[in-house]
Amino acid sequence: MEAKPEEKAEFEEAEIEYVSYGGEHHLPLIMNLVDQELSEPYSIFTYRYFVYLWPQLSFLAFHKGKCVGTVVCKMGEHRNTFRGYIAMLVVIKPYRGRGIATELVTRSIRMMMESGCEEVTLEAEVTNKGALALYGRLGFIRAKRLFHYYLNGVDAFRLKLLFPPPRQVL
Amino acid sequence: MADKPVYEEASIDGQPSKLASIPASDTTVWADASPLLQAACAGLRDGELIHGDNFNLFAAMSALEIMDPKMDSGIVCTYYSIDEAIENGAAPIPISLDSTIDVCRTIDIMDHLLACEAAWHKGHSLAQTVFSCIYLLRLDRTAPHALLHSYCRIIRATCKAVVSVVSDARTHEEEDLFTLTYGLPLNGDGDDKCLSILNAVEETISRQLRACKATSSKRRLPEDLEPLQSNPNLEEGFCKALLCRLRFRKHFFHVLSCMKRPQGRGLESARKHIASCLTELESILKSADFLRSCFDESCEGDIDDKTTASGFEPIGFDAMLNSRLSAPTPPRAIKILSWKKAVEYFVKLLHDLDVICSYSLDPHLESLLRFVVQFQKSQPDLVARSHLQLLLVQDGKLYGRDPFFAVINKAAALPEATKNHDIQKNESFLQLGMLVMNLLKILCTNAAWQRRKLGKFLQDWRVIYVQLELAFRNEYGEVSSSSNDENTCMKIFQHILLWVEEQTFWIAFRFLILGFELELYSTGEYCMVYWYLYAVLIKLAEKTHLMMAVSHDTAKRKGKKKKDSPKDLARESRIPPAVLFLQCYICLAEGLTMMLAALRNEIPVFHGPSPFNTEHEKFVQHFELLQRACIPDHVSYLSYKESTTHARFSTLAMYNYFKDAQRIAKEVKSSFSNDPERLAELRKLEQVAEHNSVAQNVICRLGALDPSLKVSFEFSHHPFFATVVVKRS
Repeated sequence: MEAKPEEKAEFEEAEIEYVSYGGEHHLPLIMNLVDQELSEPYSIFTYRYFVYLWPQLSFLAFHKGKCVGTVVCKMGEHRNTFRGYIAMLVVIKPYRGRGIATELVTRSIRMMMESGCEEVTLEAEVTNKGALALYGRLGFIRAKRLFHYYLNGVDAFRLKLLFPPPRQVL
Repeated sequence: MADKPVYEEASIDGQPSKLASIPASDTTVWADASPLLQAACAGLRDGELIHGDNFNLFAAMSALEIMDPKMDSGIVCTYYSIDEAIENGAAPIPISLDSTIDVCRTIDIMDHLLACEAAWHKGHSLAQTVFSCIYLLRLDRTAPHALLHSYCRIIRATCKAVVSVVSDARTHEEEDLFTLTYGLPLNGDGDDKCLSILNAVEETISRQLRACKATSSKRRLPEDLEPLQSNPNLEEGFCKALLCRLRFRKHFFHVLSCMKRPQGRGLESARKHIASCLTELESILKSADFLRSCFDESCEGDIDDKTTASGFEPIGFDAMLNSRLSAPTPPRAIKILSWKKAVEYFVKLLHDLDVICSYSLDPHLESLLRFVVQFQKSQPDLVARSHLQLLLVQDGKLYGRDPFFAVINKAAALPEATKNHDIQKNESFLQLGMLVMNLLKILCTNAAWQRRKLGKFLQDWRVIYVQLELAFRNEYGEVSSSSNDENTCMKIFQHILLWVEEQTFWIAFRFLILGFELELYSTGEYCMVYWYLYAVLIKLAEKTHLMMAVSHDTAKRKGKKKKDSPKDLARESRIPPAVLFLQCYICLAEGLTMMLAALRNEIPVFHGPSPFNTEHEKFVQHFELLQRACIPDHVSYLSYKESTTHARFSTLAMYNYFKDAQRIAKEVKSSFSNDPERLAELRKLEQVAEHNSVAQNVICRLGALDPSLKVSFEFSHHPFFATVVVKRS
């Protein structure tokens, strides 16, 4: 499927429905989106690893019944910190620039926060201005630069969001 | 030796068996697994997964889909093996029975190998680049073809030498793909004679060149020499094209050998070979016109993208043959550098190596550190950086020559005599020597890795300071001694403690400014970064000043002057130029901090809050390593807020730090008239100061009144001090 260049979908932001990962029926939707947009080849097991173990952290965005975006995440213990990780984030081209990715990521991060994560991390290409701006607005900093991280020789930033310490509940 | 292999195809249609390239042996046999796989396909429904003690979802992620071209590295593209490729004529010897075409194709192979070599240096695997050459993989069979054989041999020996240098440097971390050779045939018998083999071929072609020149001028030579190829009109051009390529390889190999010699003994010779390499590379570039016009047919496509000078595709390369050897992960298709870009790469590499070879091996650590920092500004690649590191640190000594205690002794302005003092056997001093050695190694790595290492390193320097201070206090804390040796020890401790502090702040400074080079800070974080930089610079300037005072003392005590002349007294009371230099930095950092703070406080839209955390978390994250090492002491998010919370356009208007910076930069220029690097830096600082001074005035006058004011930050004049740009939208 080739998205026609420059053609933007017409919609109201309120028309987008956000759904938490609900089961096997969502898996092919996620896989199709990610396979289309990202260059890394993932086997079905990779997707299963994320959505089986952390279904509450993956979200899908629908417009009039069509899946237009998804976020896939995990969380766990990493060197004495409980940390969330954003593995994949995709919104199809005609729907970009309208805050859908931000909303997907925000929902996932909120869930991570509520689950006790202390921080959230991900990698992004240094040239991916859109992603850097998105995560920057959410409070991520560029913690490290990874030299030639991607096989095409492009560097990556490790982005990290540190949650404030939980407020004391009296 | 196995029996002749028999391959049984899944005989759906009863086709005759095919010769297999992976033969069965005494203990193995080929069996058709298709029925088993087909049964397995039907064994699980969608959503089901096999559970096992050592097979879980995480492990399942490493599963490969067989026959998926992106994942299955064993997938056959053209040939099963190198032998099969050769049997099918993928790498013919001779390349062509027509000697003209043979020479042409040989040159194409040489060019493509250069492009592969550059691609390898740039970060791709050896297997997919240089060793995608079938001739290289079976070098012995090229023996009848003297040109190809000698060229392949020297390439192999060169690659081996380069792998050795980078391995010895051992800081390639992220670039570790480079040294992975995965069983590729890098070690060849007789490769040590590669130069003499090459020389013999070079000599033959030189004679052929002389002969064809003689023939063209109608002179007869006594020798009855067979020409290189059959077309007399092309003989001279081909000879020249070959000679510069062979000579480049010869000189490049010499560069590597010379630079390997201990204690920098071969650097001068290396420079001569570098100059020859550059000359030959120029000739190689010039040969392109001739090679493209040899035949009537021209190549398709953009000539600039081609990996050969002639523009034709080279014969005898197949990157997929090594796919099982190339890397642990399935190999992705890589793009070999174009031939033009490859030559450019080598020109740059040679220039970088030349800078290293020109270095005077200054025993003064401070000068050395500035040299390394300056060298890194040209963004040298892995091969150049590894060479620098090996020059600096050999056998646990600086340049393989100066013990690190002696180096530290000098850097800490201690008298020459103390460099042999027994105190260096003390554990803390030994560790300090290691730290200095590691610092040099770290400074030779790529910027991204370097910054991470420097950050972690701060803790080590803090610890050594504490250790030394403790040892000092234990020995000399309470007792005032009169013994000479004890006085000397005390002096050593005092100087070195001060020097360690200065060095620690220098590392912290470098850690912070590398963040700008690596684009780790977003605009909203500049204020806190410049503030922290200001705090570190203040301490660095303080320690540098103290260090210089102490060093002046040492010089005085040597009895250089009986009486202080009025000039000396005046000089003593002035601030040393090196400290003024730092004060210029301090003014710029302070100016930027206050301007950014004012902008943030006055214009709410300037940087909005994020939904999940606050500036405090960002501060903690960016400066965690510095805070943990208490560098500097008494610096925290709270003190940052206190310093910046009251900044307003009105307060900004009261003091222009940029004007101070301008003034200091101008003043101190004369002290560095012999130092072009520092002069250049001062000029850049002046430009930043000037632009920012003007910008500050504009912002102060109009900031609060004009909501359309757009402020942005560019690093157009200086790599870590931003130039403030004010526009009205």
